This record gives sequence, C-alpha cells and structure tokens, in this order.
Amino acid sequence: MADRQQPGCLSCGVKGLCGGRGLLTLKDGAWTNNPLAVQVLGICSALAVTNRLESSLVMGAALIFVCVGSNLFVSLLRKRTPHRIRMITEVAIIATFVILFDQFLKAFYWDMSKQLGPYVGLIITNCIIMGRAEAFALQNPPILSIVDGVANGLGYAVALAIIGFFRELLGAGEVLGYAVLGSGWYTPNQLMILAPGAFFVFGVVIAIFNALKGPDT
Amino acid sequence: MSETSALVILIAAIFTNNILLTNFLGMCSFIACSGQIRTAVGLGTAVTFVMTATTILNFAIYHFILIPLGLDHLTFIVFIAVIAAFVQFVEMFVERFSPKLYFALGIFLPLITVNCAILGASLFMVIRNYTFVQSAGFGFGAGLGWAVAIILMAGLRQKMAYSNIPQPFQGVPIAMIVTCVLAMAFMGFAGMVSIQ
Amino acid sequence: MKGNLYTLSYAAILGTVCALLLTAASSFTAPYRAANAEAEEILNILTALKVSFQADASPEQLVEIFNTNVRRRSRGGQTLYEYCPPDAEGKTQAAAVRFSGPGLWGPINGFLALEPDMRTIRGVTFYEQEETPGLGGEIASVWFRRQFEGKRIADETGKIGIIIKPGGKASTINEVDAITGATMTCDKVEVILNEVINKIVEERNKDG
Repeated sequence: MADRQQPGCLSCGVKGLCGGRGLLTLKDGAWTNNPLAVQVLGICSALAVTNRLESSLVMGAALIFVCVGSNLFVSLLRKRTPHRIRMITEVAIIATFVILFDQFLKAFYWDMSKQLGPYVGLIITNCIIMGRAEAFALQNPPILSIVDGVANGLGYAVALAIIGFFRELLGAGEVLGYAVLGSGWYTPNQLMILAPGAFFVFGVVIAIFNALKGPDT
Repeated sequence: MSETSALVILIAAIFTNNILLTNFLGMCSFIACSGQIRTAVGLGTAVTFVMTATTILNFAIYHFILIPLGLDHLTFIVFIAVIAAFVQFVEMFVERFSPKLYFALGIFLPLITVNCAILGASLFMVIRNYTFVQSAGFGFGAGLGWAVAIILMAGLRQKMAYSNIPQPFQGVPIAMIVTCVLAMAFMGFAGMVSIQ
Repeated sequence: MKGNLYTLSYAAILGTVCALLLTAASSFTAPYRAANAEAEEILNILTALKVSFQADASPEQLVEIFNTNVRRRSRGGQTLYEYCPPDAEGKTQAAAVRFSGPGLWGPINGFLALEPDMRTIRGVTFYEQEETPGLGGEIASVWFRRQFEGKRIADETGKIGIIIKPGGKASTINEVDAITGATMTCDKVEVILNEVINKIVEERNKDG
C-alpha cells in the first residue's frame, strides 16, 4: 500500500501516534465542527459567563481541562466499560474532573469562582463533553482522544473569548477590566452585559462564522 | 429570603427570573426542539415534571444526607445521579403503565437528563438557601418558565419559516436574535411582582 | 451472571475511585478555601472601614493588616469592628458592623462602617448577595456603595434611618439614589440597613 499518511501529520513528529489523523481531528474539532458555532452545544455557559472576557477565558480553560481529562479516561476505559453503564461511567468521570477544577478554583482563584458561580458545576451537563465522550472517546485510542479534547475545548474557548470580548467591550467599555472605550464619549450599552446582549452577540458571531465558513457543500 | 413566599418565587421564576431567558439554562434542547409547537409543549411538560420532582428530591438529599454527613463536596455528582436515576425510573414507569404517554413523551426523557436547567434548578435551590416549600415552588415555577419560553419560541419559529432570512443567519443565529428580543420583553416584567 | 457481576464491580470500583479522588482534593484544598473565605470577609471589613491596603494583597497579608489595625468589640449583642491603627494612640477611627438579611433572591450580607461620631457613614460593603446581575446585583458596585460615604444615618430633624430613593432625586443628608429597575432589591437593602442602624443608635443611646 502506498503512503497512507494524512496530509500534515508530520506536526507531532511521531509516526503512527495518532494513526495519521491528528491534524485532521484538530481541525475538525476546532473549526469544521466547532462545538459552539456548528454543533451548537454548550450554549448555557457560553451565554452566562461571557459578560466579561476574563470569566470567558477561565471557562474556556475549564472546558479544555475537563474535555481532555474525560476524553482520556473514557478512551482508556473504553474496552472495559460494560455497555449498559457507559453513560453513567461518562457522567462520573466528567463530574469528577469538574469538581476537581471547582475545588482548585475555589482554593486558588476565589474571585473567579464567585463570578462563575453555579456555571462551573453546570459543565457536567455541558453537551460538548458528553458528546465527545460518547461519539469519539469511546471509539478511539487515548492519544487521539486527547487531541480531540484539545480541539473541541480550544474551539469552544476561542468562540467564548470572542463573545466575551465583544460583550465586555460594548457593555462596559472595557477589556479585561481595563477601560478601552473612553467613558467620555462612549456610554456603555448595559444591555450587552445582560441576557439579551448575550443572545444577540452569540447570534451575530455564529452568523459571521457561517458566512466565513461558507455554505455546506 | 425566608420571607419570600413560595408563590412569589414561583411567579418570579416564570417571568422576571426565567431560568432560560435570564439564567441561560436549558439552551441546547431549547434550540433543538423549538421548531414545532407540539414538540415544545411535550418537552416543556416533561421538563416541568422532572424539574419539580428532582428539586424536591435533591432538597431532601442535600439537607438530610449530604450536609449532616459533611459530604457537600459531592453535591454535583449526587444531584446529577439523582436526576439521571429519576429520569430512568420515570421512563420505565411510563413505558410500563402508559404506552400512549410513553410514545408521546418518551423520546424527550433522555434529552432531559443532560438539560442543564434541571441541574441548575437544584443548584440554585442550594445557593439561595430555599426552604422546602420555596424549593417546590421554585422547581415548579422554573419548569413552567422554561416551558413558556420554549413554547413561545416554537410559535415564533413556525412563523419565521416563511420569512426570507439571509443565509448566514438561517437557523441558530436568527433564533438567538429572536430570543434576545424575547429576553428583553421578559425584562419588562421586573417590578411586576410586589412582595408584601 | 458473570456479566452482571463484572458490571457491578466495575461500577463500584469507579464510584469508589471517584469519591476518593474528590475527597482527597477536597481535604487538600480545604485550608486554602477557608483562608479565602476568611480573607474575603476581612477584605470587606477593611474596605468599609477605609483601611488602606494593597489591591493585590494576599490573604495572609490581609489577615495581618486586620489583626494589627482592627479590634473586635462586643456591645449589646452587636460585634463592632473598630479601626484603631497603631499610630493613633488607641483612638477609634471608625467602626464597622455586620448586617444581614433577606434580599430578593438570597441573603444579603455586608458591613456598614461609621465615623467615630457614630452618625456619619464611612462606607458600606456587600459581601454576599444573589440579586439579579446588572440590576439588583449593582448594589455591590462601587458607584452605588460610594453614595453612602458621608451620608448621615438620620435626617435633619433627627429621624433615624437612611432612605434609598428611586427616581434619582436623592437630595437630603440621609438619602441615596436607588438602582433603576431594582426597586425591590433596594427596598430590601433599605430595610436591612435601617435595622442595623436602629440597633447602632440604640447602643449609642445606652452609652449616653
């Protein structure tokens, strides 16, 4: 058989580590099937915590951490997990990682923990993580599952950051707490920080993403 | 908050603090199932039922088991286990005793387990330190609020199906923008409920 | 049967491992979390009392500043946090009292600090509230709290109580502006603050 390597797999340098699908998985998770813009999952947190850029970034980091961790362990256990309790296994693993993140957040980044509130716990029900565990990690080897976790987490985190950036900029004239739009001429549109602003910016961001990506062939 | 009556909490949970339009919970199924009014009504009913029951159940478990035993760091995991178990139980029960109801409602039940609104309602109950009666009122009101939001959305989307929407906005983006307007409208309810 | 046994033992082992891991993480982080909670409370007391401290002070530093500068005193059921910096020869610069009460969506807790005359407000902080973000939640914002500084706890005629006035018409020495769209929260806050103010006045009158 001729060279079966997928284009661009030389990125990790080790042949066969991802079965040649590393870069493809990365691109798929982060762009082609972006969890937020394409799969439209994990919206609850995306709307709730994006009123500030900082909390968006922390939530993005949380998601990468949990997605990678859960994908890794679900993949490691995939051959041993009885089919009947596979959902409960996934939930247990996901919940464990979420609680770990929550505990360490409370210990070392207290202010952010208060800002994020119940939405850290709600990562457990975040459809992205469960979806990746079910659709990918259960059928794929661990290293590739990690890549998938990173890809989806990253795709989500970047989308969150974009939404958070605009909401904070328009809603408070600030970026990461630093005043950018001078209060002299710009009156912050407080609606951007509230619920309606979240829905609106989210809708517009997805529309722009769709326009950039082009119609599905 | 012990002075706020359960009825006020219920009404507020539907209008001024709608769990979907204010707290953004339960969005995934909201987007997926708000295409048709009939589907929306079915899902809304199921969610209301499960939310009320699990909020009450989780209240009991939290206050009578987790706290006394100092296990409150396991709250998330226990709550979601309770919700999953309850939904599974309801599914079995409905399938056995009312095949007709199962046919109408059954497909929604697995969707409900991952509905963040259900877990969210339990978590809010803990954060806000509700009493038993307040928790029941809140669970029921939050469920109703979610149902009201999704049914409204379904009605709007059914009408929108005849509109000429630019391609990038079709589907989710325009649904979100419509939800934005809906959320703004609900914000107008603030101040409607007065507390004596 | 063998399948069921495997399933059960798998579930049991998974459950145990998760619970153990979480309990370990919980005990490891417990002292940090407790320190953070204590530091937050202290931060609020210091802010209300206008004690100066670095914005990025660590919890330990805050505790230290608190211990050197603030003195706890019990007076008739109320705990007063008195600001007595070491270089002020024991004279109280300000006193803060905790207040607590039901808000619209959850408890509202905070500290009210008064000048030594026990009539003028030095500052107020809200360290716990669950009000609607952007509306009632604005009570924790700087602009709302800053209004209280310099206001008195009684009006010109001597009637005790502060008033949170809607409509942006706050004018007298004991009035502040309410938050637009958060009438209920502001009403609750007014009740809670006046409750603690009444107690303070009671104690003050007892002292003569």
